[in-house]
Amino acid sequence: MSNAAGSLVLDGADQKEGQEHNNQIDFKMVTFSLSGKDYGIDIMKIKEIAKFSSFTYVPNSAPYVRGVYNLRGDIISILDLRILFHLPVDKKAENEETQNGLILSLDENVIGVVVDSIDKVIGFSSAGIQPPHPIFGDINIKYISGVVENEGRLYIILNAERICAKDDSVRKAADSALPAAADTAAAAVSAETYQEPQSYGNSLAAEPERDFIRETLKTFKGFSITPVNEEWFTGRFAEWKEKKKQQGADLQLKSADDADEYLASYYSADTGRFWEDDTAARYTRALAAQSGKIIQAWSIGSGKGFEAYSFAAILARKYPGVMLKVWAHDNDLLAISTAPNLVFNDDELPEFLGPYIVMGKNGSSFQTEFKNKIFFEYHDALHPNSLPELDFIMARDVLPFFSQEDQARLFAEFHEKLKPTGLLFLGDNEKPLDSSRWAPVSGARAVYKKS
Amino acid sequence: MKIKGDAGGIGERKPDGQRVDGESYRVLIVDDSMFVTKQMGQILTSEGFQVVATAGDGEEGVQKYKELYPNIDLVTMDITMPKMDGITALEKIIEFDKEAKVIMVSALGKQDLVKKSLLSGAKNYIVKPLDRKKVLERIVMSLNK
Amino acid sequence: MRVEYINPFVEASYNILKEVLNSEVVRGELYLKSSSTPVLGVAALVGLAGDVEGRVLFDMTKDTAIGIASIMNGEKLTVLDELGKATITELANLITAQAVTKLHDLGFKFDLTPPALFTGENMEISNSQVEALIVPMKLSCGKIEINVAIRERA
Repeated sequence: MSNAAGSLVLDGADQKEGQEHNNQIDFKMVTFSLSGKDYGIDIMKIKEIAKFSSFTYVPNSAPYVRGVYNLRGDIISILDLRILFHLPVDKKAENEETQNGLILSLDENVIGVVVDSIDKVIGFSSAGIQPPHPIFGDINIKYISGVVENEGRLYIILNAERICAKDDSVRKAADSALPAAADTAAAAVSAETYQEPQSYGNSLAAEPERDFIRETLKTFKGFSITPVNEEWFTGRFAEWKEKKKQQGADLQLKSADDADEYLASYYSADTGRFWEDDTAARYTRALAAQSGKIIQAWSIGSGKGFEAYSFAAILARKYPGVMLKVWAHDNDLLAISTAPNLVFNDDELPEFLGPYIVMGKNGSSFQTEFKNKIFFEYHDALHPNSLPELDFIMARDVLPFFSQEDQARLFAEFHEKLKPTGLLFLGDNEKPLDSSRWAPVSGARAVYKKS
Repeated sequence: MKIKGDAGGIGERKPDGQRVDGESYRVLIVDDSMFVTKQMGQILTSEGFQVVATAGDGEEGVQKYKELYPNIDLVTMDITMPKMDGITALEKIIEFDKEAKVIMVSALGKQDLVKKSLLSGAKNYIVKPLDRKKVLERIVMSLNK
Repeated sequence: MRVEYINPFVEASYNILKEVLNSEVVRGELYLKSSSTPVLGVAALVGLAGDVEGRVLFDMTKDTAIGIASIMNGEKLTVLDELGKATITELANLITAQAVTKLHDLGFKFDLTPPALFTGENMEISNSQVEALIVPMKLSCGKIEINVAIRERA
């Protein structure tokens, strides 16, 4: 065919587009709502996300000052942004016991602000921030530092300094008018109603950076942290934090390269390439003797085929004379399309692949007879499949690319398709989502069977 | 449709559809698609052939051939058709008249299908979509066999 | 779907459309779908048999179907009459047959059934238990979505 438009070659180019604009996240903010609109404040200005459960009212203060609050021994002012901005306050919300808030920290100045509800943390490129414009908000433009659109929502970015400046003037007035008020209030709070701000969400209040890293891994790499890999993430975060501290560098992941560096220790031995002999030996040891005449296996996220070929080779060696069928799936069309005709240089090929390789003019490839045991399919693992009952499922390092909800669906599918004696191979840093339905195979890392 | 005698005059090319005696070759088109029948008919009549009948499946094709015989010179035969496929119809026509000139017309170009058709007595094989030049070339070739 | 099956369908769609319409054809990005598919108005269906079981569905609006039939017949059609329907059916047959021929050359034994045509408003192909490859094709007179679902015979 003279024109390549009908072939698959173009796909790579198609897919690159549209990813350019988010390749540098250098601004993160906590987002929240006020009167049904979306706002955000620069994460660098935020000390904590908190729920305020009781304030001490300060007489003669401006209406937007809700009171003072004892934050672990420090007395801070609490401003209500809705009142400051002349926005309606939901009566019902006002009567609730606890109020959502943020604790802002600017230089020496720490204040709390009350908002309707905290949404999430978002990261984006500061190049996307538009200057403030009166049309964007119902609030005085002097409190706005910019406007940004993110995933279809428009956020008004508030100027934390201006808000804090509001508090300064309050404080001065309050200090001079009521010299003893703060002390009295503090004593009352500590004696009767002192409470730690409640933690918000997972661990955001304690370690907001941890959640930003979660968010940025998702943004840059589509990589989810869920119970499948939470344990690894916790360890890695501590390690990363320490490393960055020593380097005097910023903890945050600003680009896909940073995310790759963060994830470098995640991936299993020989992921994305042919297994080395020791990896092959490690997995071979986990294979039990089989009496059946046919062995059926499923390899998910096979990419260009390195994993599926390696896996098929150890199965073919371990079970000679048995009919072997391996379904190798990927939803990356370009990668999986190259798998059946994979050609490679044989300089340093592992020994265990040797019997299945033939040399050709342009490099080495697999023998047809061996290749015929593997069905490379363009398939989305979340779609229905027509796989038979399986002896093995190889799903190393693919689950993080699915949401937790989708992971749950996949584990249910694995459980249904796997024979009672079958084995599930996960990545070195992964474990099943529902640990009650799976039992680790002793002596093997990240290999499971149905319990 | 008949081409007038003057079409064969000096300096004029004799249309492919015309025999040396000036009469038109008589064709039976067997195809289940009205579109293909029409398209094939247009190509043939424009070159002076006479489409004497059409049939929508293999069974009807065989029946029409038998009815028309011996006043028939050529059959174009589709392969994938309801009731009776084109290969079976071809075999039946050849069984009835081993001199029959049948040309297979199919969107399928599978090697073994082409081979099977020729072994069963087809004179030629045209892979669709129909191209005027290709169709006429193959038909003339078959008529001269 | 086995990756070996994909290119034959993509190439056949591109080649045949370009040839019969005698104009530029642009292929959109391929993707997988496993949900019910609303039909745009005209759907031609060709069944596959042999080593596999499956079907190829050609989906387009009525206007696109009339546009294609007009070009292929060399005359302006205003409604999708019997000739127009036969033309779209034949187009589906041409593309599927060429793909099957290419697959045959690669050693895959496929057969096809005579095509069937469906027309109507608010039709839906219930697809949720089957994963289909979608090959979108942009033509001068609209777009065709070629929906290919094939599975290996157990």
